[in-house]
Amino acid sequence: MATSLSTPKLSTTLSSSTLQTLLYRHKFSTQNHSPFIIFPQSLSSSSRYSSSFNLSKKALGFLSDHRRNAILKSRRFATRADSTNGAEPRYDYDLFTIGAGSGGVRASRFASNFGASVAVCELPFATISSDTTGGVGGTCVLRGCVPKKLLVYASKYSHEFEESLGFGWSYGSEPTHDWSTLMANKNAELQRLTVDVDGKLYTAKNILVSVGGRPFIPEIPGREYVIDSDAALDLPSKPTKIAIVGGGYIALEFAGIFNGLQSEVHVFIRQKKVLRGFDEEVRDFVAEQMSLKGIEFHPEESPQAVIKSSDGSFSLKTNKGTTEGFSHVMFATGRKPNTKNLGLETVGVKLDKNGAIEVDEYSRTSVPSIWAVGDVTDRMNLTPVALMEGGALAKTLFANEPTKPDFRYLFSQPPIGQVGLSEEQAIAAYGDINVFTANFRPLKATLSGLPDKVFMKLVVCAKTDQFDATIGVHPTSAEEFVTMRTPTRKIRNSPSGGKADSQAKAAAGV
Amino acid sequence: MSRKMLIDGDVGETTEETHYDFDLFVIGAGSGGVRASRFSAQYGAKVGICELPFHPISSEVVGGVGGTCVIRGCVPKKILVYGASFGPEIQDAREYGWQVNEKIDFDWKKLLHKKTEEILRLNGIYKRLLSNAGVKLFEGEGRIVGPNEVEVIQLDGTKLSYTAKHILIATGSRAARPAIPGQELAITSDEALSLDELPKRVVILGAGYIAVEFASIWRGMGSTVNLCFRKELPLRGFDDEMRALVARNLEGRGIILHPQTNLTQLVKTEDGIKVTTDHGEELMADAVLFATGRLPNTKRLNLQAVGVEVDSAGAVKVDEFSRTNVSSIWAIGDATNRMNLTPVALMEGTLFAKTVFGNEPSKPDYSNIPCAVFCIPPLSVVGVSEEEAIEKAQGDILVFTSTFNPMKNSISGRQEKTLMKLIVSAETDKVIGASMCGPDAAEIMQGIAVALKCGATKAQFDSTVGIHPSSAEEFVTMRSVTRRIAAAGKPKTNL
Repeated sequence: MATSLSTPKLSTTLSSSTLQTLLYRHKFSTQNHSPFIIFPQSLSSSSRYSSSFNLSKKALGFLSDHRRNAILKSRRFATRADSTNGAEPRYDYDLFTIGAGSGGVRASRFASNFGASVAVCELPFATISSDTTGGVGGTCVLRGCVPKKLLVYASKYSHEFEESLGFGWSYGSEPTHDWSTLMANKNAELQRLTVDVDGKLYTAKNILVSVGGRPFIPEIPGREYVIDSDAALDLPSKPTKIAIVGGGYIALEFAGIFNGLQSEVHVFIRQKKVLRGFDEEVRDFVAEQMSLKGIEFHPEESPQAVIKSSDGSFSLKTNKGTTEGFSHVMFATGRKPNTKNLGLETVGVKLDKNGAIEVDEYSRTSVPSIWAVGDVTDRMNLTPVALMEGGALAKTLFANEPTKPDFRYLFSQPPIGQVGLSEEQAIAAYGDINVFTANFRPLKATLSGLPDKVFMKLVVCAKTDQFDATIGVHPTSAEEFVTMRTPTRKIRNSPSGGKADSQAKAAAGV
Repeated sequence: MSRKMLIDGDVGETTEETHYDFDLFVIGAGSGGVRASRFSAQYGAKVGICELPFHPISSEVVGGVGGTCVIRGCVPKKILVYGASFGPEIQDAREYGWQVNEKIDFDWKKLLHKKTEEILRLNGIYKRLLSNAGVKLFEGEGRIVGPNEVEVIQLDGTKLSYTAKHILIATGSRAARPAIPGQELAITSDEALSLDELPKRVVILGAGYIAVEFASIWRGMGSTVNLCFRKELPLRGFDDEMRALVARNLEGRGIILHPQTNLTQLVKTEDGIKVTTDHGEELMADAVLFATGRLPNTKRLNLQAVGVEVDSAGAVKVDEFSRTNVSSIWAIGDATNRMNLTPVALMEGTLFAKTVFGNEPSKPDYSNIPCAVFCIPPLSVVGVSEEEAIEKAQGDILVFTSTFNPMKNSISGRQEKTLMKLIVSAETDKVIGASMCGPDAAEIMQGIAVALKCGATKAQFDSTVGIHPSSAEEFVTMRSVTRRIAAAGKPKTNL
């Protein structure tokens, strides 16, 4: 028996429909009766089939009971059986994408550009994600990159006001921030970027799972008082004193945001340092600069409970003690792939222990007709990487060409940009490296009198070199990258000493 | 003759052992001069350098260690741009929820005082750089007496003579003043960076980066600014599409543009300076800035007597190694009027030292030199403009553009588009030009310049993953060609 999840041949069936472009041309109402929103009804006329379909329970097995019932109630679908004489099986779509976020939309659009017939489905829009709410655009547009950046912009102004004093500006009274204005303007911008759709489900030759990830909060007493990043981007009022648990980019970006908006910020991290995985010097530099801005770090503290007190404030209990008086407690303790209720295991899609869909280099799952890109695969959880994975998949399926990403960045304040290997990774990979660093007070800070500094670093493979021939753009900070003439330190892996030796040398700054 | 000497590997070597006071004597301690001195000293040369006494406003007898860049160019300019940028930023902050007083004050004197502190600090640092390198600094006016002899006229009038195996001219340039009736009422950029008060009404004559930057500076601080220039658009020589956007942005910020306009006279009145244009318009100004170009500072060097050739603008003529027609005399930086940018002077100074004292004749490479105009928002470019590409490139060229209103403006409501552009050779797929007009353009373009230096192709740009969310990522996500321009059929001329 054939279902939409059986193994089809990967031939490029060209159909005339350009389904996903309707995503942008049509704006449907936001009323949604079924929690699982699918594609425009008008398309049934453009499909090759006129009869109704019945999708067996098995075919919809990867959907939750709740969703499946909603679909079966609204429509009856059937799968197309493989024809017995060996002719090409016919599907409604060459590609069906579940999840219209960065990866899903990219894959769908590009696939369509290659001539494939594509359908995409997405949960109804809400600022806070859940099992039944999401929105076209996905995390990036609705509760990630975009709103985050807007809040970072808003929060930077306090620092700018401070800087401007050194440049001759003065204010009658110190500027204060009105949180609700920011939220209203931010939400207006998000509305402009989202579209809701309404429709029905079809069978597909290939299925792409791009349902993304969601914040993870550990099960501890008082968990119900904790907010995650979704909520933090849409609070009804600004935190006066906030505890942020976490040491990754989300925790640090929000620490910067709330600090800039004049909240009192405390960051609790399990490790000794923030930003595990980043270059060591960068980790130290960022923490130092953030401390100078007034953010208080509590290293080596693990959260144990959140307690609400009679006055409505919260306390955070950790292994080291209890800190009181928080208006908000936010956990930015990781994000997990959104695969809990998809029932993927029943159709044979392998997941790892975190719930991420396991894929090969081509983003193919353990079921040959099912693919996955973006945060749901938990590779490098960045929008441009999801875009790349989606684009590469479209090429793989409908034109034949995959690619690999290698990038990293972060919007803390000061922001970090990193590409290539960290010093530690480079030592491990290349042995002999030269490290060039520049640590300086940028011109702007010499006037503002603020303690801001800039830290820049180049790690160069000693054998192959590169980088000095480019002329600087002046006056900028960027030109420092092309004017680092003398190595700050040279690391050589001696043949006898090996790794331990070079690490000792590096630590000694030799 | 100088070429032959280099090829023989003998740079300035004579048959007898002549004793010179210095291996190198440099006239002018600006960007080029200081760089050349320090690096030559590092190669083991005995170096002397002279510079006019410090003063923010330059003249034939005053200047200062650090040169134009530090004292009355790049550094103070950037400080003023920062200062001016806060004005519009504060406006934008309101839309982000910040409640700021209606009345915001800007204290020009305070900013200028801090500017002066900063340039004095840098001036001190440059002096230390020289002494740390073992370079001997003389204060006074230098002139060339012979192929191996210089004279330094000190402040008290006494003259010191020194012999040097090599002499380097690094005297830079100064603002030109057009011969317009009443021109003595106008100021140049030197004075503009040292005014006592913020001029509330400004008229600027000029279309280059200096004119445009000052227009943005004063406008950001709240002044009324009229910008007059001869052509249809400012910034001649830059990509036309970019020029048009810069002009639109200047207008968007409230600067009044007067294209195809010259000034015919300036008259002092009770209410300020009355400026008349060649269209018959009259403008009132508290300050009139002439930013019509800069001329090399070579008049008092005595070059004619020594036989060093200069061109019609007074720029010292040099070969690819920065050597003049007199084999022991060299020149770098604005005095040679090649590419008048600090990092280029640094490059010329570095390679001069390498050639003459490092035993490695090295020619500066003028290809793919990035630069920026710090108007608000700024413009930054590297490689060829679209017009240059059409003229010079072999084969068809592909133009990729991305125009958008940056995310920050979506909330502030500012209607100001960013434009980013790549010029690609259709034949080789190499990116031969890149430009951007928008916030942070200069910081972004530096990395792009490295890519062009590496000979990056459009395919390599496209395969680079974007940094998100940023404006910069647009450079690596320009998928569709905006236009394809066929190769010019005719052979090019040199005109």
